[in-house]
Amino acid sequence: MSAPYLEVQGLKAAYGDIQVLHGIDFSVAEGQIAVILGANGAGKTTTLRALCAMVSTEGSIKLAGDELAGQRTADIVRRGVAHVPQGRGTFPELSVEENLMAGAFVRSDPEVRADADRWYETFPVLGERRGQTAGSLSGGEQQMLAIARALMLRPSLLLLDEPSLGLAPMITRSLFEQLTAINADAGTTMLVVEQNASLALGVADVAYVLEAGEVALSGPADELAADDNVRRAYLGY
Amino acid sequence: MGVLASVLGVFDITLDKLSDGELWLAQFFRGLSDGATYASVALALVMIYKSTGFINFAQGSLALLGVYLAYIFSVEQGLPVAVAVVCAMVASSAVAMLVERVFIRPFPPDHVLPLVIVTLGLLLIIDSAVGIVWGFRTRSLPSMFPSGAPIEWGIAQLTWRTIGNLGTVFAVVGLLYLLLSRTKVGLAFRAVSSNLESARLVGIRVGPTLGFGWALAAAIGTLGGALVVPDLLLEPSIMLRVLIFSLAAAALGGLDSMVGAVIGGLVVGLARNLLVTFLDLSELALATAVAVILVVLLVRPTGLFGSTRVERV
Amino acid sequence: MRAMGVVAEGSRQHRRRQIIGWVLFALVVALVPFLIADTYSPTIFGNRYTFGLGNLSQAIAFMVAILGLNIATGYSGQLSLGHSFFVGSGAYLTAVLVNEFHWSYLATLGVVVPGLFVFGVLFGLPALRIQGLYLGLLTFAVAAVFPSIIRLDNVADRTGGSNGLLIDSDLEAPTWAPIEKITEWLHAIPGVGSRVPDGLTGRQEEAVYKYFLLVIMALVCFWLVRNILAGRVGRALVAIRDNPLGAAANGVNLATYKTLSLGISAAVGGVAGTMLAMHSGFVGPDEFGFSMAILLIVGLIVGGSGTLHGAVVGGLAIQFVPHWSSQTQTLPGTDVALEGPYGTAILGGLLIIIIFALPGGAAHGFRRLKGRLMPVAPQPPGG
Repeated sequence: MSAPYLEVQGLKAAYGDIQVLHGIDFSVAEGQIAVILGANGAGKTTTLRALCAMVSTEGSIKLAGDELAGQRTADIVRRGVAHVPQGRGTFPELSVEENLMAGAFVRSDPEVRADADRWYETFPVLGERRGQTAGSLSGGEQQMLAIARALMLRPSLLLLDEPSLGLAPMITRSLFEQLTAINADAGTTMLVVEQNASLALGVADVAYVLEAGEVALSGPADELAADDNVRRAYLGY
Repeated sequence: MGVLASVLGVFDITLDKLSDGELWLAQFFRGLSDGATYASVALALVMIYKSTGFINFAQGSLALLGVYLAYIFSVEQGLPVAVAVVCAMVASSAVAMLVERVFIRPFPPDHVLPLVIVTLGLLLIIDSAVGIVWGFRTRSLPSMFPSGAPIEWGIAQLTWRTIGNLGTVFAVVGLLYLLLSRTKVGLAFRAVSSNLESARLVGIRVGPTLGFGWALAAAIGTLGGALVVPDLLLEPSIMLRVLIFSLAAAALGGLDSMVGAVIGGLVVGLARNLLVTFLDLSELALATAVAVILVVLLVRPTGLFGSTRVERV
Repeated sequence: MRAMGVVAEGSRQHRRRQIIGWVLFALVVALVPFLIADTYSPTIFGNRYTFGLGNLSQAIAFMVAILGLNIATGYSGQLSLGHSFFVGSGAYLTAVLVNEFHWSYLATLGVVVPGLFVFGVLFGLPALRIQGLYLGLLTFAVAAVFPSIIRLDNVADRTGGSNGLLIDSDLEAPTWAPIEKITEWLHAIPGVGSRVPDGLTGRQEEAVYKYFLLVIMALVCFWLVRNILAGRVGRALVAIRDNPLGAAANGVNLATYKTLSLGISAAVGGVAGTMLAMHSGFVGPDEFGFSMAILLIVGLIVGGSGTLHGAVVGGLAIQFVPHWSSQTQTLPGTDVALEGPYGTAILGGLLIIIIFALPGGAAHGFRRLKGRLMPVAPQPPGG
């Protein structure tokens, strides 16, 4: 196995005095989809925020061998890390088109336009509403917009925080199909936090289970899906 | 009826005045001219409110500093007034960026209350600094526009100054619109205003973007001050009144709407001049502004054009 | 300094220490006017500074004004940038009642307190719908408008318009007050007594009498406010400030308590106005403009928002910082005279520094220092 694309060691994070992550290790190989499972408050969202320097952290975060810890969010984004935060990932007062352009903020190559058109094709509903403000879209449409906005960066690592939150099951399924397609197509490495464990394990290559700020279990996604404890705790059968 | 008569008596309403068409027109023009100046400072307030969610009470002070610089450049250094004003706009932007960097950025942007208090502190510091450096003697700053009036109807004059003031404000709004909607820095500014966290996550450097907003607001405020001061005399407390009228204009327009700020400014300017003339309320001019703020906040807190947003304090 | 031993809260030593503290406080408050009846004026770095009774009395009035602001802003979290309006109204009410109806100063409180309370409640009604920054915006404008209301033609013959009003009633010490006797006793004490003048002039005696009057008024205000805040009302106000939704869910009637807090705040502000009128015997429109409003905010924040001690520190700060600044004729090492606007600039700088470095204000700083020097162990619950 080659060196992992994202390698995290001893990651700690805290909000003020409250320590949320107590030194976690995990890694994702290039082109893989990794999923983080865990109960509410286990530190899943914090893990993603820590990778983007949105909380104060300690420990090492290596992306393709380069240290990200200590860098600022804006610089981490320039290294190709896109983050779709939970729920509010769009700019509500900006139009759909402007949201995509904001997503490509750090790019200056001539292919931005072509990329935007490509995501309008992938998510036709966004193409129909490109002039509308993001705030006027439905919850599902906003989630698609947030993901398209993140993809406009041409990320090498895509962080997704509960992409299925508030979406109808049908839409969730098609969203995950699109994500796997993008992963297969562009080789984008993905790290997904998801409540819908069965769906997430279905598309993921590796999985990590967080408990109270520590990695409790880890392994290939299909092995974890077959693990009795995981099934009982997260899959519900 | 007796009560009504005495109320009318208090306000000294005379039918002669009310039926004097020329007076109406004259005050209408003056109102537009004043309104244009309020609109400029209101625009500056709205820019800061939109991007940061708080009201910069030092906005008038930054404009005051700018107008004094314009005075130095024009009257003392002999530059043409328009050039001096542009230089002062650049200089006050630089000061505003410095102020933002040193006094504002160290605070977490979502804690609005300490930031408001800091702007009050800045108001005290800048106003007194102006008093220390330039003293309290009144001075007069010439207008950027020629004197005289191309159009006259009796006492009603549409002066070059009125035309210039209005033209300037509309030009500022037009340029601002282009800057915000057509340029990358404008997109960054609007993204930061809309969603701070996502703005960070697309790689926008939030601090410098807000610094840019402060610079732009200070430049616009300075321009507004340079429009208003020729009508009055320049002294350190002059911008306080302008600030109050501009706050009323911004509140009326909706605090986060640029178009609203301009329309609010014009309405406040008109209302002020008409009330002062026809009701003889010159001492109450400021009170009318307060009444506007009160009524707007009570009846329609989002103003005429503002968007609803969650109160952040 | 070495920390004293830890004492348990409520223990005999703790109570003894508290009592000693209060006795010392009372002694200082009672002795200071005699010590500075001859204005104390040390020369520091070639500048002559004064510490006189008049300044101290004005500071006491400011303390009460900040106390009032503290109720609305510090305790119940309603950003009021227009407290000067209430202070000014109180001062003018007193002045007019004394001048036109020949009331005594203290009797005017009978109108000022209920009047301003009602006024504050009326003001609080719209404030229920206007919150946070918006309330700050509105009150800021209200503060700026007070002087022009006083100057209105219709009321100018009552209020004196731009000239202000000289109040034609002196506060002469009553004959029963043993001020002269106490001065003589203190003067006889060896050592300290040398600072106390041999006898008081009429004006000095009046100043000492005024000082004690103002101190008593301030103590009553602080005591009443402390009692109000220590009880149900205070808990409700703090709950509203910290978590309005939670407070409402627990049955706190937001509307009642918010208007009540503005009413009390205004009434206390009115008393401060009366005190200022008593102190200077004069009221002028520009004294109560928006600069006073901001000054009171400075005092509130510098002293410590949401604490009673903070109002004391804040009142001293906004009185003496500009006063001493203007007496600095040559700043050491330079030939700069810190006159006029320098004092305001220094206060502005102080405000920002405190927000940066000591967000709890001076009161918070003192408490931490005291906690380190004289630690008190809290009573274990149920113990």
